[in-house]
Amino acid sequence: MAAPEVFTIAQVPLTAHAFNADRSKLITSLNTNEAQIYGRQGNEWKPEVTLSEHDKLITSIDWAPNSNRIVTASQDRNAYVWSQTTGADGNSVWKPTLVLLRINRAATYVRWSPKEDKFAVASGARAIAVCSFDADNDWWVSRLLKKPIRSTVLSVDWHPNNVLLAAGTADMKARVFSAYIKDVDSRPSPSVWGEKLPFNTICGEYASPAGGWVHSVAFSPSGDVLAFASHDSTISIVYPGGPAVITVRNSTLPYVSLTWTSEDALVAAGHDCQPVLFSGSAEGWKAIGSLDDAKSGAPLTPVSTGSSSGGRFASAGVGRLGTNEAFARFRNADTLGKSSATPGSPVSGGDSSGDTELMTVHQNTITSVRPYEISANGNVAKVSTSGVDGKLVIWNVSVPAGTGGLSSRLGGMHLR
Amino acid sequence: MSHTVDIPQELKDSLRKFRFARRSAGSAAIIVKINKQKLIMEEVEQFDNISLEDLAEELPEMSPRYVVLSYELKHKDGRVSFPLVLVNWAPSGSETSLLTLHASAFIDFQQTADVSKVIEIRDGADSLTKENIDSKLGV
Repeated sequence: MAAPEVFTIAQVPLTAHAFNADRSKLITSLNTNEAQIYGRQGNEWKPEVTLSEHDKLITSIDWAPNSNRIVTASQDRNAYVWSQTTGADGNSVWKPTLVLLRINRAATYVRWSPKEDKFAVASGARAIAVCSFDADNDWWVSRLLKKPIRSTVLSVDWHPNNVLLAAGTADMKARVFSAYIKDVDSRPSPSVWGEKLPFNTICGEYASPAGGWVHSVAFSPSGDVLAFASHDSTISIVYPGGPAVITVRNSTLPYVSLTWTSEDALVAAGHDCQPVLFSGSAEGWKAIGSLDDAKSGAPLTPVSTGSSSGGRFASAGVGRLGTNEAFARFRNADTLGKSSATPGSPVSGGDSSGDTELMTVHQNTITSVRPYEISANGNVAKVSTSGVDGKLVIWNVSVPAGTGGLSSRLGGMHLR
Repeated sequence: MSHTVDIPQELKDSLRKFRFARRSAGSAAIIVKINKQKLIMEEVEQFDNISLEDLAEELPEMSPRYVVLSYELKHKDGRVSFPLVLVNWAPSGSETSLLTLHASAFIDFQQTADVSKVIEIRDGADSLTKENIDSKLGV
């Protein structure tokens, strides 16, 4: 089983990331109002094009694989749809088209629909703008889903039938709406969520037991199951018409992003800085384990972090004094409270050496997890994650053998 | 006064015929759109005896139109009259340049159709209800 591919794109947070259809190009925003397209060269991503049109921070990006269009949403209340055309000199150029969303607050999240003829923009205006292209006027038209949203919409996900839309909001509810647009969609066949659904019909409204903002929602590949992650550290799975909402309570920090890998498994990631695999069925769900094998992350001993701390411990590790705990304590006393060169990492709790690197691959919150590679049987084999530490990591969707979870590893460390 | 959009003679004749058609029951409507490429107004469709809900269905969600409506108005004292009402159908999600063109040509259209009563509908199908129009007509 291969180790995850780790790419350090920047030293600043990556607000969002998306790949093109064949995964040769990556678009991401480095916490600014510009988006950068990178091209894969061997084991690295080289910056190629910068898309700058937005006035304020870009909050979300999505790349439509079939029509090769990019949509970016920003705090400046706008969204731009970018199409690739060949310029006069033969180079490809990305041309932006402004979409007037008619919202009066920032856009927070954007996703193309499965057929790529519509996209949904979640916003702080307590509304979701569903945008479609009006060919007669050569213009993107937006319709707002408003009732009964009472706070910022944090994330949206489309159902495979191109009509239903799930939304997670800060009013602690996950809802399923119908985003049926008259001249764009054909009448959808009845599903478990309902039939004959005019625009803005609510097909379901769900909450988790302790409440908390719903950070992320996702439909399963068939569309018959809905999962959402809330700020009360739970993952809830909804089988409409079946049993009540199944909740998986975790003793970890909350998850902020999730994606389904097959009809009975999903990967969630968030403030714990590692992606975790969950699996189950209508009978019950549980966490299987972390995709992060901490052994391959930053080592546990204090001596080998020389490069990240600027060579401070370069001479350590030689002879008996190097591993002496008392010696290490005095040596590290003057680094207490100093932030190390490692980007954005807090001192991890029970680590007596003062090493400020986390044991996970990601050194800070993972903000986005997306499917990267689909295997032959239709399940997602690899996922990509990006986070506040500026890293982009591609994981295999399988729990490394022998990982009893990070807690057992930490326990093992103290026994030294 | 400069004219941004031309009104062809057939449309003027159509409007006259609509105006003088004898009404017995129900509301009738004629829908006119602006052809942006040719910069002329065109009649889209004409309806006899249509309900307001059906009319709202027929009108596009995101595109401006002029609607001359022969509205069946039932007075409090039992009389039924058919006043001509001009509806400025201009949903806010429409394309901006088309909206501006529509607004600039509106006065012209109103003078050609010779209708004094005007109702503005800017937010789409929800506003095109019987109660709304009755209140605007002062009933």
